[in-house]
Amino acid sequence: VKSLHAALAVVAVLLAAAAGAADILSPRESVPARAPRSTAFISAPDLAERIMRRDVALRVFDVRPAEAYARFHIPTAAHAEAADLAATTLAPPAAVVLYGDDRKALADAVRAVGSKRGVEVRVLREGLSEWLGRVHEPRLAVDPTPAERAEFERAAPMSRFFGGVPLAGVPRADVPTGYWTGAPRSEELLAAAALESVASIRRRGC
Amino acid sequence: VRARGSEALAVTPLTETGWLDPSGALVAAVAIGFGFGWCLERGGLGSAPKLAGQFYLTDLTVFKVMFSALVTAMIGAYWLDRLGLLALDLVYLPETFALPQAVGGALFGIGFLVAGLCPGTSCVAAATGRRDGFGVVIGMLIGVALFNATFSWLEPLYSATNWGAVRLTDLVGVPAGVGVASVTALALAGFAVAGRLERRPR
Repeated sequence: VKSLHAALAVVAVLLAAAAGAADILSPRESVPARAPRSTAFISAPDLAERIMRRDVALRVFDVRPAEAYARFHIPTAAHAEAADLAATTLAPPAAVVLYGDDRKALADAVRAVGSKRGVEVRVLREGLSEWLGRVHEPRLAVDPTPAERAEFERAAPMSRFFGGVPLAGVPRADVPTGYWTGAPRSEELLAAAALESVASIRRRGC
Repeated sequence: VRARGSEALAVTPLTETGWLDPSGALVAAVAIGFGFGWCLERGGLGSAPKLAGQFYLTDLTVFKVMFSALVTAMIGAYWLDRLGLLALDLVYLPETFALPQAVGGALFGIGFLVAGLCPGTSCVAAATGRRDGFGVVIGMLIGVALFNATFSWLEPLYSATNWGAVRLTDLVGVPAGVGVASVTALALAGFAVAGRLERRPR
């Protein structure tokens, strides 16, 4: 055991000395610490409500790739990358809402906007998939619970406002799910669900 | 300068890069928790007399185990980041609240000495059927309830002296690698001193 400890100590010394030497001989750009505050979220219905009442402080940014933005985006949203956001002037008080389907891009964007004074940043938690499922294309199952019916009745006017089609009486399997139904999904599933919904909306021809 | 290519390579932290969804992260947390508890128990850290020996300088196992874990994680995180396998800027760094953390640390130390166990080791002790472990876990839960009940009164202290997310190397103004080398040297010196203290005649 003693020889194992000695060997591990030697490995630790070598790696630590190499770390010191590496940073002195080949200095790296200091990586900023991750923003300490936890991410603040906004739900899709709350975002829709703010867009509908033309909240002047609200700025919505889509941080997905430009092609995805061009296919479909939330009304009033502008396309931006983290570097663009860092350079964008946002007059306080501004309420920025970000959405995307890549956590790293979102984290970079939150950091870029969060460093500005007087700017409140929120993230649409499940991105476009949540927007489509809860606002643009809400679905009510054939056997709804009272809570589901209430959410659908709240979403239907919003859906029509944004040019969507709310549908009632659909099979339960066709009802969109996400964190709001207690079933948060991975990025891949969210992106795939959003892509499928966008494709069906485009087929419909708006 | 951090290479752009290395960003694309980074696969960890798994939850931030999308390799692990929230439910997978919960499963991983339970597995890691069990692994951590098993390692603590196997390291003998479920025994209150062993832990209390830390304060009397007779048994410095806690110091050695914890400092070894810290150095291992530090060297691993540094090199994984350097090799582009870990996006260190995505790892959550808790904020430093100097005064409340100093007060909390002192309170923690007193509780540790009185009980002979800390929160993690008390769970390990309880899981292995030690009654003192159960006692400490219950005391801890009562403490949590008291903290919540008196939070409005404690809040000014709780939020005082917010230094933000700072790192030791940023405060000292040295590169991360130099910090890694220095802390490792400190650990090895500490282990040597700990060994001498444990071996001294009593």
